[in-house]
Amino acid sequence: MSSVELVTLVVDEVEVQVPKGLGLVETAAAAGIEIPVFCYEPRIGPPIGACRMCLVEVDGQGKLQAGCTLTAQDGMVVRTAQTSEKAADGQNATLEFILVNHPLDCPVCDKGGECPLQDLTFRYGPGNTRMTFPKRTFDKPIPISPLIALDRERCILCYRCTRFSGEVSEDGQLIARNRGAQSVIATFEDEPYRGQFTGNVIELCPVGALTSTPYRFEGRPWEIQNVPSVCGMCPVGCNISATTREGKIKRILSRNHPEVDGGWLCDKGRFAHGHLEASDRVVDPLRRAAPRYDELSWDGALDEAEALIRGAEGRIVTALSGSETVELAFALGKLLRQGVGAHSALLPEPVDHSYDAYTAPLSTIREAQLVVVLGDEPVAERAPIVDLWIREARRNGAEIVRQSEGDPELERRLREADRAVLIVSGADGADVARAGGLDRDGCAAFRLPQTANGRGVADAWAAAADAEAVNPEPIGLLIVSGDEAAANPDVRAMAEQAEKVIAIGMFRRLIAPWADLILPGTSYLERDGTYVNLEGRLQRIRRTAIPPAPDEVAVVSRLAERFGVGLSPHPAQVFEEVSGICYGGLPYGEVGEQAVLRDRVPTSPPAGDKVSDTRHVSEGPGLRLVTYRALFSGPAVERVPALDFQRPPAEVELSRDDARRLGIANGQTVNVRSNGTSLELRARLTRELTPGVARIADEHATGLEGRVEVSA
Amino acid sequence: MAAELTILTGADERDLTKLDQYRAIGGYAQLEKARGMGPEQLIETVTNAKLRGRGGAGFAMGRKMSLVPPPDKRRSPAYVVANADESEPGAFKDREIMRRVPHRFVEGCLIAAHGIQSQNVFIYIRGEYLTEYEVLSDAVEEARAAGVFGDCDVVVHRGAGAYICGEESALLDSLEGKRGQPRPRPPFPPVTGLYSGPTLVNNVQTIASLPAILELGVERYSELGVEAAPGTVVYSLSGNVNKPGNYELPLGTTLRELIFEHGHGIVDGRGLKAIIPGGSSVLVFTPDQIDVPLDFDSVQAAGSFLGSAAVIVVDDRACMVQLGLRGAKFYMHESCGKCTPCREGTRWLVQLLERIEGGEGTRSDLDLLRDVCDRILGKSLCALGDFAVYCVGSYVEKFYDEFKRHVDEGGCPFDGASSIDGVLAPSDTHVHKHLPLVPA
Amino acid sequence: MTATEFHDRVQELRALYPDGRSAVMGALHLAQKRHDGWLPVEALEEVADAMELTPAHVQSVASFYDMYHLEPVGRHSIEVCTNLSCALVGAQAVVDALAEELGVAPGETTEDGAISFRLVECAGGCGYAPVVVVDQRYREPVRPDEIPALVEEIRGR
Ligand SMILES: Cc1cc2nc3c(=O)[nH]c(=O)nc-3n(C[C@H](O)[C@H](O)[C@H](O)COP(=O)(O)O)c2cc1C
Ligand code: SF4
Ligand code: FES
Repeated sequence: MSSVELVTLVVDEVEVQVPKGLGLVETAAAAGIEIPVFCYEPRIGPPIGACRMCLVEVDGQGKLQAGCTLTAQDGMVVRTAQTSEKAADGQNATLEFILVNHPLDCPVCDKGGECPLQDLTFRYGPGNTRMTFPKRTFDKPIPISPLIALDRERCILCYRCTRFSGEVSEDGQLIARNRGAQSVIATFEDEPYRGQFTGNVIELCPVGALTSTPYRFEGRPWEIQNVPSVCGMCPVGCNISATTREGKIKRILSRNHPEVDGGWLCDKGRFAHGHLEASDRVVDPLRRAAPRYDELSWDGALDEAEALIRGAEGRIVTALSGSETVELAFALGKLLRQGVGAHSALLPEPVDHSYDAYTAPLSTIREAQLVVVLGDEPVAERAPIVDLWIREARRNGAEIVRQSEGDPELERRLREADRAVLIVSGADGADVARAGGLDRDGCAAFRLPQTANGRGVADAWAAAADAEAVNPEPIGLLIVSGDEAAANPDVRAMAEQAEKVIAIGMFRRLIAPWADLILPGTSYLERDGTYVNLEGRLQRIRRTAIPPAPDEVAVVSRLAERFGVGLSPHPAQVFEEVSGICYGGLPYGEVGEQAVLRDRVPTSPPAGDKVSDTRHVSEGPGLRLVTYRALFSGPAVERVPALDFQRPPAEVELSRDDARRLGIANGQTVNVRSNGTSLELRARLTRELTPGVARIADEHATGLEGRVEVSA
Repeated sequence: MAAELTILTGADERDLTKLDQYRAIGGYAQLEKARGMGPEQLIETVTNAKLRGRGGAGFAMGRKMSLVPPPDKRRSPAYVVANADESEPGAFKDREIMRRVPHRFVEGCLIAAHGIQSQNVFIYIRGEYLTEYEVLSDAVEEARAAGVFGDCDVVVHRGAGAYICGEESALLDSLEGKRGQPRPRPPFPPVTGLYSGPTLVNNVQTIASLPAILELGVERYSELGVEAAPGTVVYSLSGNVNKPGNYELPLGTTLRELIFEHGHGIVDGRGLKAIIPGGSSVLVFTPDQIDVPLDFDSVQAAGSFLGSAAVIVVDDRACMVQLGLRGAKFYMHESCGKCTPCREGTRWLVQLLERIEGGEGTRSDLDLLRDVCDRILGKSLCALGDFAVYCVGSYVEKFYDEFKRHVDEGGCPFDGASSIDGVLAPSDTHVHKHLPLVPA
Repeated sequence: MTATEFHDRVQELRALYPDGRSAVMGALHLAQKRHDGWLPVEALEEVADAMELTPAHVQSVASFYDMYHLEPVGRHSIEVCTNLSCALVGAQAVVDALAEELGVAPGETTEDGAISFRLVECAGGCGYAPVVVVDQRYREPVRPDEIPALVEEIRGR
């Protein structure tokens, strides 16, 4: 980066020096002056100058100018409403026009109290209305999905929402219809707004036109607290703030971490918190008295757990979910490995530490010149926000290459591009990253894990002791930690074998009837601790809501006492212990509100135990089947009815080339077959899939495997 | 006086929609001449000819061409876009040019393309001009087949009914397949235009003037019209005159000559009440301004704009409130809905004018009407908002007494006798029935 | 035009532009021809598919322009310009005569679905006003007393 040219300009008699080309709104802010805006939002693309709230006077220009569309030039003299009558009148006029058809129903509006329109009217607007005609009226509010309500009367047509849909998530579903005063925001034929990122438009809307249906009438701004934390739904770890009222979570908002999430959230992270109130939530310890379960006191539960653990004489396997905090995983590890020498665990997923040599902030993707997506698992389903970073890179002119596997040509291109990023989604990428020399500046490689904290859990479990695991035969006791593990078929199979099973989980329907002892689990929204995201960034999660049961770490620490293992009940202290072993002694306090990314760890190849993600499939006729775990699936999502419409439709994705070859049209029902099984699915054609592949969400691919025949 | 013509030249004598006929009077020879010169020299010629845009803004074409960065300074290809969206109320000249001298227009496009060294010409023709689209497309095919395009290509693109798409940046969005809404400027099209490449946008007539400039040469061309703005222009004359129509005349022709000589005066010998000199989007003139010469600077000096040189004559039977209301309904209907003052303001104007015409208005409504005009003026994203104000606002200023009488006498003084009494507009019939209705 | 012919025509249109999305307006014009002069939902989906755009985007574009009809229209259309120049020379009398003759108000379609009657903004025939546009072809000028014959002619088509 060459040093940026600085320019000097004057805003309201204040002289400021800023980089040439900086937006005027930001420039004024640098001088401590506000240029009010509605439609301006740099995160959704270039300014459009639509709302005219930002009118300023610029010397040498007869007309008022839209400040949001201007950039800092040397010698510019700008007057905002503070010092210019003309500008003040212009902004006042804009607000009068905006309010002409605005219902002013603030008392019953969810936006009330946190509404830019209210605030700017208060500061710049007319005190009274001269509009004496019937205002524009529409049916209100109309659901544009089960999650979002649209009130067209409140809409000020800033086009933030439609620009997000068209230019950020690029789903092209939320649009403006009609022209002029009849313009309205809409979806196609009032179909629901589906997609991974729809909820962001609620936060973008500067008025109460787009509101969250789950949050409607749930709280007034002065009745709520916003607690900073981190999302635990996927390996990205978006920074969030949880809005709580009386200890309950009412909504999740983004807490912009410019390096991680750029201020966006996926709908799972935003809306799935409803699972905290699931009807089958486990709140007391339960002992199986087949066919029933009896509630136990906590002391009773601890006695029971102790007995089960001792009874297994070390023949214990622990199945982890990858949703445990680093602290919980370490606590379990310490208890079981140091306490009874039970070293064998079923880790949520393999971790390949060689990627630590290529790590970088996710925001690096945006600057890339070449982005290679290796593997056929849809990025947006595994790590949604990464998909947004890739799209932004494309808009910035990057070339996006999608391939199932690496090859020498690809490695050459990675070597030669001066800013290359490799994103590995269900393939073997470590060697490609090494061959591509991605430890160069401006380059990076990311492997997309499947679980939110699989890395942290693996680190912590390993840190708890260093003895070889011996897989017990038969399994005396299976300890299942967390609902994802409980939902995992392999774990279920193991539970069949095991003599006894202890399950720690949130949802009864998932665990009963196969566990002998059930201990209530908590959600990432109810715990203190740390997670490690896919960048390797250690982030702090907080107890944002009051859980119905004690924190697992506290429970495990009381159990540990009984085995003479010293373990603090406080995550903070547990972390200090883990940190000393695997995080360079970083103090808990320093993980911080906006966590920083640790430096790259150079690895001399070959690094650690080699991990393979490629599911090898014999060559042959037909297409190679790729199945994936849909973002909108899993125990939490299944417990939030409002998210049902987001579940993956019964579709098979095909590349346009294959479709043409097979004479298949978009949307047509096709037959998909593999040895014996045959399914009817809707074909969806996409350019974002490598030819030769047929992609189906797990839940719609039951029975299919290997290669599939697809026919119209 | 055929020599006086530079645009419709020869169209009365022959069928110039045919290539051979056009060739017979030296058609496409000027393109050859242009290609003979270097681009810089061509741009210099256009600059010296002081050719000013005929589409409304009157910007110097040579200047605009020179703003387009040369090939070695471009990041993406440059484009020529011919603005054939002619939708200005009162204007119907581009239509006649395309229908009668399509080849001259196409030749102009190719000359312009050579000037900015572009290989792509797009002609954006308003969707309603179906016949003209067909004539023009045939001409383009004929010329392509005859190989006059060289390494340049011409695509004719049909609009679909939106006045705003005449605004150059909205036109570009529309041409890119989006809703035709204006873009903030800067950056201006010559720097960042179609597909964010450097783009020269010019009106049909401006472009069709290029061959004559090369044929006559700067000197002889400059003998036509006025010093500051040489050449001829096709004036569209309409309204209450005996002989309305298009008249190609030198710039600077007076309103009197146009209306009374060429237009044979006012119908039924009625009294002249108002003259709109440049299409509905410019400020209205009163009869005492009948001697204003119709060129850019003179009209502006007289307090209006030449616009698209579309002169609308209003006789003494018309109610100016009704005329303003009809105009306001047009701008409300055509407002693209992107920026606040235009979208909300034009609708408010209609509501106020309806109340005043309906006899419900008060003096304070008149003040509010003027104030709303002030509040729109100069604050909208493109000039459409201003246009609505030039139209309505100038009627209020110049015919204030008539507006006053409406409120003082509790109704229209014409009492049903106005020539435009009760005229309906598309917006009165809710063109978008299938969607939420907006009571206006 | 069959669905495949339509699809191929749209691909040709896309090829005319550096960015194929520019062809959406042309595609909508074609689709409207294919669907009795208006754009039912299937037509919008057809365009979206051929253009590789979302139906929502296509609808957004279609609803912006007056010449795309998003609800059924008659087999023929009669449009009258009532903008300033036409209004000044009696466009409303022509509108009234048509309403009388057709028995429907502007903006409506005759019972038998034969004719849609619309008002339009300046059609660009101001010098030959009042302008009436029949099935996209201009009739200039048209006087109220010519309306019965005109309607009869159209009904005869
Ligand atoms: C609302 C609006 C409508 C316009 N309509 C037209 C039009 O129909 N035809 C046209 O040539 N220019 C129109 N213009 C002017 C164009 O924006 C642009 O100035 C012109 O095409 C440039 O060409 P010229 O320099 O040759 O005149 C319009 C401008 C505005 C603001
Ligand atoms: S709904 Fe909200 S975000 Fe969308 S245009 Fe209206 S005001 Fe803007
Ligand atoms: S903020 Fe500048 S126009 Fe909306």
